[in-house]
Amino acid sequence: MTELTPDQVRALAAAAGLPLDGADLAEVTHRLNAFVDVLGGLAALDLTGAEPAPTSPPALSRDPALDPR
Amino acid sequence: MTTELAYRSAAELAGLIRARTVSPVEVVQAYLARIDRWSEALGAYVTVCRERALDEARAAEQALGHGALGPLHGVPFAVKDQFDTAGVRTTSGSRLHADRVPAADATVVARLRAAGGILLGKLNLTEFALGGTLSYPFGQPRNPWDQTRETGGSSSGSGIAAAAALAAATLGEDTGGSVRSPASWCGAVGLRPTWGLVPRSGCVPVAWSMDAPGPLTRSVEDAALLLSIIAGPDGRDRWAQAAPGDLRADLERGAGGLAIGVVTRLVDSPDTDAEVRAAVRAAAETLRGLGARVEDVDLPLLPLAGAVFMALADGEAAAWHHRTLATRGAEYDAGTRRRLVTAALLPATLGQQAARARAAIRAQVEDALGRFDVLLAPTGPTAAPTIAGAQAPITSPAAAGRRFFNRRSYTTPASLAGVPALSLPCGFTAGGLPIGLQLIGRRLDEATLLRTARAYERATDWRACRPPLPE
Repeated sequence: MTELTPDQVRALAAAAGLPLDGADLAEVTHRLNAFVDVLGGLAALDLTGAEPAPTSPPALSRDPALDPR
Repeated sequence: MTTELAYRSAAELAGLIRARTVSPVEVVQAYLARIDRWSEALGAYVTVCRERALDEARAAEQALGHGALGPLHGVPFAVKDQFDTAGVRTTSGSRLHADRVPAADATVVARLRAAGGILLGKLNLTEFALGGTLSYPFGQPRNPWDQTRETGGSSSGSGIAAAAALAAATLGEDTGGSVRSPASWCGAVGLRPTWGLVPRSGCVPVAWSMDAPGPLTRSVEDAALLLSIIAGPDGRDRWAQAAPGDLRADLERGAGGLAIGVVTRLVDSPDTDAEVRAAVRAAAETLRGLGARVEDVDLPLLPLAGAVFMALADGEAAAWHHRTLATRGAEYDAGTRRRLVTAALLPATLGQQAARARAAIRAQVEDALGRFDVLLAPTGPTAAPTIAGAQAPITSPAAAGRRFFNRRSYTTPASLAGVPALSLPCGFTAGGLPIGLQLIGRRLDEATLLRTARAYERATDWRACRPPLPE
């Protein structure tokens, strides 16, 4: 993904109905481009089998009462 | 006398009150005196429950000798102003909630009070528990070791109050390091429990998939004591897990025989200051000297954790705030608003990539915890930075990455994996700032985490160090 320009970010915010005045625009643009830069790089990783569940499957939850160490 | 009493641990105070060596009224008055002296300068409290705390202390004194007493009987505590308190305003550190008065206590507050604790007040935080606040409506939090320095957030006031003895013990909430970071920078003990172990009911949310209420205290024993009280299902949080019992039972078993993995990707990162690296390596050697098997372990995805965390947690937060942000955006602090707007505009495909990366990071952490009882790392790459530096304008994407992602890559692996992690003091910089040691444990195995921390605490004298606050 290419770097976003301030005009593109302003248009995105307007479409989302969110406030973005001049003082915030430059910083939000930098922050968004930082995300684009790092997260765009994730595509190069081998994420085979990495299913985007927010929590661990229950089987990985150890109950100390059942599995004392 | 007031200072010496105030620096006692919560467990010690409970014992002294139970033995009638000190009265709850005397203890509450000692903390109120320190709050009067230091809270405004340090930006610690948003609200002090002075009269109510004194009334409850008198009642606690009357109750002595009349039936069973809770484990915190007469002990004054304070909580981050993210937790609802019946009849006491709960601001979340925001002008938007400046007059919000909940009808009921958060479950964790209710449990501490049911254990006999006395609520001293509500502690300052970054707005809505998101980091990066630029203008604090209830006072700028300042580090008690150097008041030009950051406290860490978002549980800023909890870190200050624990370190500067403005309460016997405190509660914070840790989404991506919000308990561990202030513990590290202020020189306290901070415990993020396993996600789901402590109910979040009555806690204003940041990110549902990572929010974890936890204690900030002056001792490992107090962290165990508070967690034992607040953990366990309550019927209002469907994810809450079974209670762990009294976590103090195994505290003194020592570190002998434990397998400890030193996370080289964080310890040896170029972002980690040399003084922090040296202190953390020395802590690993101390644990080896106590009989632990200590080995290096590499988790190569961890440097991505900060960005992955922010993409996910901030997205959850932006969804919660979206309507208010659209209609009352000007009432947010500029730093909070910019963070939320950024998250709201992040392309969904990048969010899903972050979710997949989270699963891969979690798998690396869980794999390492299959080979080691505890992982060891710095809590952060540096000691507390200056307030001015942390609030300087962002002038490039690279600067945004350095400011927001790099530091978070130290605390967010545990958040992304849902496992418990604890920060405790492990030394000082040459400039006199505390350095935090982070211990990361297996899911629902807080007992081993606390046992390891207690063994280290007992073997060192960092706990005895106090911030330079004149009488």
